[in-house]
Amino acid sequence: MLLDLPSTRTEAWRWSDLSALPEIAQRAKSGVVPTALPWIDCGSESPRLVFVDGRYDEARSKAGPIQIGRVLASAPDHALARLAGQQGWSLKLGEGHAAPGLIQIVHLTSGAADHLAAEIVLEADAQASIAETYMGEGWTNRLTVIALAKGARLMLNRRMLGAGGFVSLTDRADVGEGASLTVATLAAGGNDSRVDSQINLSGQTAFAEIGGALLARGRQRHDANLVLRHDAIGGASRQMWRSVADDRATASVAARVEVARGAQKTDGVQSLKGLLLARSATVNLKPELEIFADDVKCAHGATVGELDRNTLFYLASRGIGESEAKALLTQAFVADAIDRIGEEAVREAYATDVINWFSQSSLVPSEVEGRS
Amino acid sequence: MTDIRNREAQEAADRASTYEWGFSSDIEQDFAPKGLNEDTVRFISAKKNEPEWMLEWRLKAYRAWLTMEEVSWAKLDIPAIDFQDAYYYAEPRAKPKLGSLDEVDPEILRVYEKLGIPIEEQKVLAGVEGARRVAVDAVFDSVSVATTFRKELEAAGVIFRSISEAIREYPDLVRQYLGSVVPQRDNYFACLNSAVFSDGTFVYIPEGVRCPMELSTYFRINAENTGQFERTLIVADKGSYVSYLEGCTAPMRDENQLHAAVVELVALDDAEIKYSTVQNWYPGDAEGKGGIYNFVTKRAICAGARSKVSWTQVETGSAITWKYPSCILKGEGSVGEFYSVAVTNNRQQADTGTKMIHIGKNSRSTIVSKGISAGKSNNTYRGLVRVNAGAENVRNFTQCDSLLLGDQCGAHTVPYIEVKNPSAQIEHEATTSKISDDQMFYAQQRGLNAEDAVALIVNGFAKEVLQQLPMEFAVEAQKLLGISLEGSVG
Repeated sequence: MLLDLPSTRTEAWRWSDLSALPEIAQRAKSGVVPTALPWIDCGSESPRLVFVDGRYDEARSKAGPIQIGRVLASAPDHALARLAGQQGWSLKLGEGHAAPGLIQIVHLTSGAADHLAAEIVLEADAQASIAETYMGEGWTNRLTVIALAKGARLMLNRRMLGAGGFVSLTDRADVGEGASLTVATLAAGGNDSRVDSQINLSGQTAFAEIGGALLARGRQRHDANLVLRHDAIGGASRQMWRSVADDRATASVAARVEVARGAQKTDGVQSLKGLLLARSATVNLKPELEIFADDVKCAHGATVGELDRNTLFYLASRGIGESEAKALLTQAFVADAIDRIGEEAVREAYATDVINWFSQSSLVPSEVEGRS
Repeated sequence: MTDIRNREAQEAADRASTYEWGFSSDIEQDFAPKGLNEDTVRFISAKKNEPEWMLEWRLKAYRAWLTMEEVSWAKLDIPAIDFQDAYYYAEPRAKPKLGSLDEVDPEILRVYEKLGIPIEEQKVLAGVEGARRVAVDAVFDSVSVATTFRKELEAAGVIFRSISEAIREYPDLVRQYLGSVVPQRDNYFACLNSAVFSDGTFVYIPEGVRCPMELSTYFRINAENTGQFERTLIVADKGSYVSYLEGCTAPMRDENQLHAAVVELVALDDAEIKYSTVQNWYPGDAEGKGGIYNFVTKRAICAGARSKVSWTQVETGSAITWKYPSCILKGEGSVGEFYSVAVTNNRQQADTGTKMIHIGKNSRSTIVSKGISAGKSNNTYRGLVRVNAGAENVRNFTQCDSLLLGDQCGAHTVPYIEVKNPSAQIEHEATTSKISDDQMFYAQQRGLNAEDAVALIVNGFAKEVLQQLPMEFAVEAQKLLGISLEGSVG
């Protein structure tokens, strides 16, 4: 398949490096599924789905309200999402319905590229909570189209735990009156990533919170691009991102709040922070505001720096070793974004993933360094 | 409350929405043939009696320009520009007269008098005793018509010339630095400027010299259908200091005129350059008809250790502004500063900001940007702070505040932060607000009318930047801001 990929000369892709994608797409699929999948233990018999190389693995899954098959989702204007096709999964909940517990989906890509689309439609006052985990070492490409009617609530949690390869996630969401969308993304694996979220707050007093933590080391690159558009009066949005870059890695977040003409009383908050753990690591931030209404509250803050030396000294004086102290402080830095996750089981799983990421760094730095 | 204020302000706007510098003067001028081709470039070069290397340099730029494309990343709606439908050179036809100041056409002198620009030395000297003097280089359309205080500056060793003169008199200095900060191919408009620039200012401050007075250039576009392409080059040698002011106006015309300037600053060890601009090109009328397209490339290199460049700009004019005065902080411990107030009204568009490129260790930068949008205008701050891997202990502080007057305008902030060194401390803050009813109420119950109250509050909003201006300009800038506001609130 010939890929027509944007280059870094295109403004919206200046921090992404897609040059490895054609090579990854050529990699052979092994099709091997590990015996233990990273399910989040949430104590109930909730739906669990497994997609192996983009195919639904019925034997390992319990679909619940999720339907597999053709979905109505397309994003022809997006270079990666337009490859997603029309096959995938969908979740449609009627008025006032709630999904049974946490819906978990594991996407395992054992090699090459797989493309999948998803559609989430929640009618008035419906609610659902979904956790998606991305594993493997191919190129996982996903498009998710979300529509939330009046008062609907969706919590979407994404974990990228791939051993390598590339994960590209594109979201298009429409949030209706009084509806609420929360998306929490964690990149704590060995894969590169590109996340594009376009969230439209089209109803009055709609709410969206998009946040996450991007952890990168070796030569990894994570790049999150968020657009939160306020189209109606009284909407509120929160963007809370924490990026950590070690070795020669790059973590980038470009977040934009758009306030349309007439979307008065909008309350938008952006907080983007970057932490550099090594020289030659890179953090790129772009906290962007585009405002066409005068009675709005929009504030953004962005900082980049290293771990505070005084704090490190204090921990050393208490007998805590350097690497442990660094891990501790970095976890605290990342916690800003993760602690906001509402569901305890998910929050704990994320925290564990972060700790695992640190333990890997001290154990296998040479292996990570060898990746290209 | 808000409605009443808006209505009052709107009425004030209707009354006062005039551009006071919008007169044009009837001066005999020589034009280059309309349009742009290699012959135009040769014509300009020949008119200026330029050496061969300069013509070659221009032609190289022109050929490069033909291969380049206009950029589209700015948040601007730029109508297609017909580069063949403009004059690239307009020179006031000199009257055969003798004597230094008499050489200047009295008609031009009157223009500057109207503008309040002192190009006659005695006039400056007649000022209040103890007042600082300002040396002025007045650029009228394509040529520099007068440069004052030349002798006194020369005594101090300062070279203050129009760039055409400098090319003839100091070819080595110009050749060494021209295009060294903004390369010919840097961007579309800088490349165009390199090919057809007609005049501008050259300043060289020798080692250890503190320039005895403020230097100033006043740009005026007068002729119809002309583009103004000026080129400014300032070199501050080791340990020197200079403060440079730049002002600009143009007549009111229905069609758009292009102004594509390039400014290059070079600061060597321990040198300091303070560059202040009050930009007041004709902004077009309330319907967005006419006005200047102001596409300017301004860049400084802090080449030496502990060098410092400070940009201060007050941008109130132009239909479209595309301008990013930047600092390449190469020297160890070098300092870059950017203070900006940009006011847009009616259908004006401004996309302005800065780039701070940290290469040297311990380099520091400060960015303070105040955007004020009114009417149906759009005002964008676009900035980049980059810290290279070798730049240890870099500090940057950025503050971008936007003030919206009315609900038909837009205020945008696009900051890029790229950090490759962990010891860097980068902070960025931004707010967007409108004038609160409380502020208005307080000011009004103190006896100010709505319009004065708004002017007061906005002046306070922009105070941090206005404070950075030299005395001579601060007065003009404050007045200008006031006038722009009279015509803008609502």
